[in-house]
Amino acid sequence: MAYMSMGEAHRRITDYLNRFSDAVSSQDVASLKQLLSFSSNSPSLLSLADSLNVFQDANRLIKQSDNYSPFADITVPLFRSLQHYRTGNLVDAYLAFEKSANAFIQEFRNWESAWALEALYVIAYEIRVLAERADRELASNGKSPEKLKAAGSFLMKVFGVLAGKGSKRVGALYLTCQLFKIYFKLGTVHLCRSVIRSIETARIFDFEEFPKRDKVTYMYYTGRLEVFNENFPAADQKLSYALINCNPRSEANIRSVSAVLIVMILKYLIPVKLSIGILPKDWLLEKYNLVEYSNIVQALRRGDLRLLRHALEEHEDQFLRSGVYLVLEKLELQVYQRLFKKIYIIQKQKDPSKAHQMKLDVIVKALKWLEMDMDVDEVECIVAILIHKNLVKGYFAHKSKVVVLSKQDPFPKLNGKPVNS
Amino acid sequence: MMMNQNQQGSTQNIASSVDPNSVENRYVVDASQSQASSYFPSTTGSGAVSWATHGVNNQSTENGNLSNASYHHEQHTESHVNSLQDGLNATSLTSSSNLGTANVAQDYSGYTSYPNSSDPYAYGSTAYPGYYSSYQQQPNHSYPQPVGAYQNSGAPYQPISSFQNSGSYVGPASYSATYYNPGDYQTAGGYPSSGYSHQTTSWNEGNYTNYTSHQYSNYTSDTSGAYSSGTAPATSLQYQQQYKQWADYYSQTEVSCAPGTENLSVASTSNQVLQPPGVTAGYPTAHSQPAPIYHQSWQQDSSSSHVSSLQPAATSNGSHDSYWKHGTPSFQNRQVSPVQPHYSKPLEQKTSYNNFQDQHKAACPQGPSSQYAIGQQMAPSYQSPPVQTSPQLDNRRVSKLQIPTNPRIASNLALGLPKTDKDSSTATAAAKPAYIGVSLAKSNEKVVSHADSRVEPGTFPKSLCGYVERALARCKGDAEIAASQAVMGERWNLVKAVIIKKANSDGTLFSRDWDVEPLFPKPTTEAVTKDLPTSTPLSALSKNKRSPSRRTKSRWEPLPEEKPIDKLASSTNEIVKFSGWIHANEKDRKHISGSVSKEDRLNNIKFHLSEQKSASKSFQRPVKRQRLSADGFKTEDNGDASSDSDKEQSLTSYYSGAIALANSPEERMRRENRSKRFDRGQGNRSETNRFKAKNAGTGNLYVRRASALLISKSFDDGGSRAVEDIDWDALTVKGTCQEIEKRYLRLTSAPDPSTVRPEEVLEKALQMVQNSQKNYLYKCDQLKSIRQDLTVQRIRNQLTAKVYETHARLAIENGDLPEYNQCQSQLKILYAEGIEGCCMEFSAYHLLCVILHSNNKRELLSLMSRLSDKAKQDKAVKHALAVRAAVSSGNYIMFFRLYKTAPNLNTCLMDLYVEKMRFKAVSCMSRSYRPTVPVSYVAQVLGFTGVSPTNEECEERDSDGLEECVEWLKAHGASLVTDANGEVQLDAKASSSTLFMPEPEDAVSHGDANLAVNDFLARASSQPS
Repeated sequence: MAYMSMGEAHRRITDYLNRFSDAVSSQDVASLKQLLSFSSNSPSLLSLADSLNVFQDANRLIKQSDNYSPFADITVPLFRSLQHYRTGNLVDAYLAFEKSANAFIQEFRNWESAWALEALYVIAYEIRVLAERADRELASNGKSPEKLKAAGSFLMKVFGVLAGKGSKRVGALYLTCQLFKIYFKLGTVHLCRSVIRSIETARIFDFEEFPKRDKVTYMYYTGRLEVFNENFPAADQKLSYALINCNPRSEANIRSVSAVLIVMILKYLIPVKLSIGILPKDWLLEKYNLVEYSNIVQALRRGDLRLLRHALEEHEDQFLRSGVYLVLEKLELQVYQRLFKKIYIIQKQKDPSKAHQMKLDVIVKALKWLEMDMDVDEVECIVAILIHKNLVKGYFAHKSKVVVLSKQDPFPKLNGKPVNS
Repeated sequence: MMMNQNQQGSTQNIASSVDPNSVENRYVVDASQSQASSYFPSTTGSGAVSWATHGVNNQSTENGNLSNASYHHEQHTESHVNSLQDGLNATSLTSSSNLGTANVAQDYSGYTSYPNSSDPYAYGSTAYPGYYSSYQQQPNHSYPQPVGAYQNSGAPYQPISSFQNSGSYVGPASYSATYYNPGDYQTAGGYPSSGYSHQTTSWNEGNYTNYTSHQYSNYTSDTSGAYSSGTAPATSLQYQQQYKQWADYYSQTEVSCAPGTENLSVASTSNQVLQPPGVTAGYPTAHSQPAPIYHQSWQQDSSSSHVSSLQPAATSNGSHDSYWKHGTPSFQNRQVSPVQPHYSKPLEQKTSYNNFQDQHKAACPQGPSSQYAIGQQMAPSYQSPPVQTSPQLDNRRVSKLQIPTNPRIASNLALGLPKTDKDSSTATAAAKPAYIGVSLAKSNEKVVSHADSRVEPGTFPKSLCGYVERALARCKGDAEIAASQAVMGERWNLVKAVIIKKANSDGTLFSRDWDVEPLFPKPTTEAVTKDLPTSTPLSALSKNKRSPSRRTKSRWEPLPEEKPIDKLASSTNEIVKFSGWIHANEKDRKHISGSVSKEDRLNNIKFHLSEQKSASKSFQRPVKRQRLSADGFKTEDNGDASSDSDKEQSLTSYYSGAIALANSPEERMRRENRSKRFDRGQGNRSETNRFKAKNAGTGNLYVRRASALLISKSFDDGGSRAVEDIDWDALTVKGTCQEIEKRYLRLTSAPDPSTVRPEEVLEKALQMVQNSQKNYLYKCDQLKSIRQDLTVQRIRNQLTAKVYETHARLAIENGDLPEYNQCQSQLKILYAEGIEGCCMEFSAYHLLCVILHSNNKRELLSLMSRLSDKAKQDKAVKHALAVRAAVSSGNYIMFFRLYKTAPNLNTCLMDLYVEKMRFKAVSCMSRSYRPTVPVSYVAQVLGFTGVSPTNEECEERDSDGLEECVEWLKAHGASLVTDANGEVQLDAKASSSTLFMPEPEDAVSHGDANLAVNDFLARASSQPS
């Protein structure tokens, strides 16, 4: 950093303070946002941080002036946070920022209108990002990362401020989404439940009233939660909503961002759709480079159990991390169904009259071709399960080891319904 | 804090600059500081009034002397602020900030009153100077007298000026300093300033000696422990104790204020101490030490012999105002006479104390009050019956000694501190006595008692020894006392004897001898060790009221040792309470004291009585507050200090600061050296080091733990410290128990090392459990106790893993999932730390547990994603993963095959899922199969028949399995038919609608059948091993 004179530093600090107080008094959210947005790394903020290092007595400056002192609770810790931020001391930066944010909330609570909502968003965002980085710093120092958790409880408090009646409530969903991000990152997903409940059951929230952006995010996260719960219809509905509403064509300049969003959504939506018997087109997988699913889709189409297992093995880590592994694994039964159906079709071509009687030996042989080493008992068990799950209509005659298929629609399609559990 | 430090530093500097050579000068400075502080408070506080009356002279002198006053004052205020919590303040008096000052003021007022009552203004500054000068001339004499006289003059605050004037008058200066320091200490509670640290170290030592020297056997032990350890942590606890002592000191001072009553009270306290010993057998070294100290101080200060001291006193008196004269003459005369009354009464009091102690009741407040009352009564009686027998004298001496010793110690401190830590401690003690002495001066009778103390150094040691012996004898008397104690007592006696001899032969060398003395350390160390435990509990508990007596019962201490300690502690507590009480009285006295004359004594007594209740209450509070303040103080210090040793240092410094002893250059050097020792992490003084060798560092450990506790506490309070910075090593217990078998008992307090088994024993214990033929409940209990001992000692190695693994396996075998989960979570951490064990086996168990019993998809996912490639190749893990696949797809064939081929104890975990799986399978079959399924097939695929037995059905034949399968099917509502061949068939269609999961017969309301005791016992006992 180039040398900065005391006067220059003083000028910049007062400039910042003036802008801050002006923004508040004129309720100018746009400029207020800029003043709070650390992570933007805007030159003005960076130079302010340098100024603060040169001019150490900024606190007195704030407290002496009638213009600045009303916001001393916000700006003093904010300056401190900025200084720490500048020097890379993120833990302290976080702590100071939280203090500042706390003061800001107190102010925000007192403001009648929701004019500063955008600024609050910035604070919520900054505090989360700062906490994540602080945790990384803590972890690298061998200490237990806990700041993100603290940020979570802080944002929960902010949520409480917004959840009341009035114009401020539209901000609640943004906070919810920030909380989701924190909880998913921390792996404390169960904490989402209370927030969701207040959003979905509270009368004061009309879901359509929220900003679209927040609605998409919200649906994405709640959809993911449903995937964990293996509640596929609900997951399908939520993720589809998110997909439909993040329309890349509406805002050309953020297309790339949207594309990322779409991929994120599809990562979960595709397994969900597969689970309810809906296969994606190949071009979709190619367009969004979701190649990890292509083999699985292929296996489903062909009834190729081996391919499915290979695909799962190949991308096991990835699927485990994203949490869709167990969902994909359950596709095995559909693959069996497909396989049986193929056998049935072949039998039908050979001898339509006996097509509905499928010998167990045949199935075992077919599986052998797929290098699936399964004995009769095992295959019998699979058949029983398929019948039990209503993937095959018919019954199994134990004595003769024959699957007797229903003459009407022996392999019913799922058609958007999940496999019977 | 910084301010304080700076101030102190400045004061020290000044002192040094003034008289680098003469320690005395420094002392003077210190005294002035302390005085100044007290003064200021007094002016602000209620005490001001009394002060004002006397004040003129004092002020003038003070002003002249105390240029430092203002800054001293600041220190005080700061300290007060810090210590607002202090017990003293709390006790009654005034607002928190004022409290500290108020206390000081009180003392002052008492002093002031003193002069008035005795010889109101005669004792003015002029008189003092003269007195002091005389002192210097006749150092020896003055010393002894000073003890009494000082206290009388006690005027310490006036003396301040006089001190400065005299300049050379080392003794007095030290006195005042010490005296004030105590006051400050109490009030400040937290003199946290770093400047103190050096002083504190010395002080601690000094205290130690004092304690030992004093009849306060309890004190000695406690303090010594803390101090000897030298670690700050110990100080925290001890700090309180010290505080108490100070309180006592105050009480003494107060006593002095109300001459008759106060003296009595003091006497009572001293008596208490003495009486407990009961037996005249040689008292532990502690006593003997004090005596030597006396000699030293005397000799050093005054070249004249001890005996001569009495005379000098007289002379000094003469030189002094009438007041002094009165004091001295009376002093001499009374020495003999007064002894008896005090003595006899003290005994009574002591007895009561003993009882009290024995009872271990928390009734401390009551005890003190009662005692106090006695003391008051005693006082009157005391005065009237002056004539006493020599033996009585000894006793009295002891009692008096407490006070006198203190003064002397104080004098020693001035000189002695530099030389020896112990000396310094004595000096502090001396300060207290000085106060008493003042009271004596006022009341001739009291003076006499003091005189006794002065009488002959040689005699004192004996008395002390006798005291010690008595104490020991008492200990023996208690049925509870273990043989070990007796041994201890013997050692003590030996040490005592040696010490006494030395004292006699070399009076002057005593101080040095003490330090060097090997024998002495031994007893002290023992005492320390004993004391330490108690002290630590105290700090840990931080509950004042609990008082040592209760704590003694805590597990920290081995049973045998407990009792003696308890007694001591209780006695100390009583004293403390007493002192607290006195404080309360003092407050009142402040106002009263000015007008109080000899005649008023009675009134004072009454007053005291009436206020006893309040006083006792206040007493309790003070202690707590003290702790708080101390903690807060600590935290502040900690903020600066990075290392534990630093913390300790700060603590010690704190104490020393409280003492506010003058810093001579040599002193400083020594202190620095000591602090360096701390830096080395030993936290031990040279003394302690010596002890170490003998004690194997147990005392040290304790101290460290205490410090760690303190730190942690401070962390809680101040929050300025990171948890990681706590020295957990210091908190760790090192077990000494050699028993292999031990019942598990959930700890409700800090662990007692004597009941904790060291690692080697634990290893044996584990083997014993593994080879044991007893039932699961027994083994579980044993393993839990092993785990506890491991945890308490923070042993985390392969043995730990082995213990947890053993327990986890045992729990799995017996279907005790909750217990297993406990072990599993610990094992997870242990493995994560890189400790070797059966990692694979247990990750398989963990997987199975999650798969089969928690059904938490997210947990399962994260668990699977964390499996290493190597783990996935492991047989057990592979098996567990296969089980997972089978369960998630409902593949019962696979499940039961895996069930039969399960490695390790996977079977046992799967066992818990078998019922569910079977039901799923049967419902699936009844839906899929038509028309029927042979039961034999069902029995085969569902694991009723086959190779592997389950726990319930061991080694059953197929026919039995078949039968069981039929029973099972029937129990679950399946409809069975017998076909033409006589084979039992499952009617699938009929069954599909009638299947149900029967209510488990052993269902319990809390949902966990494992917790049903009867069933559990039955199962556990049915286990072969």
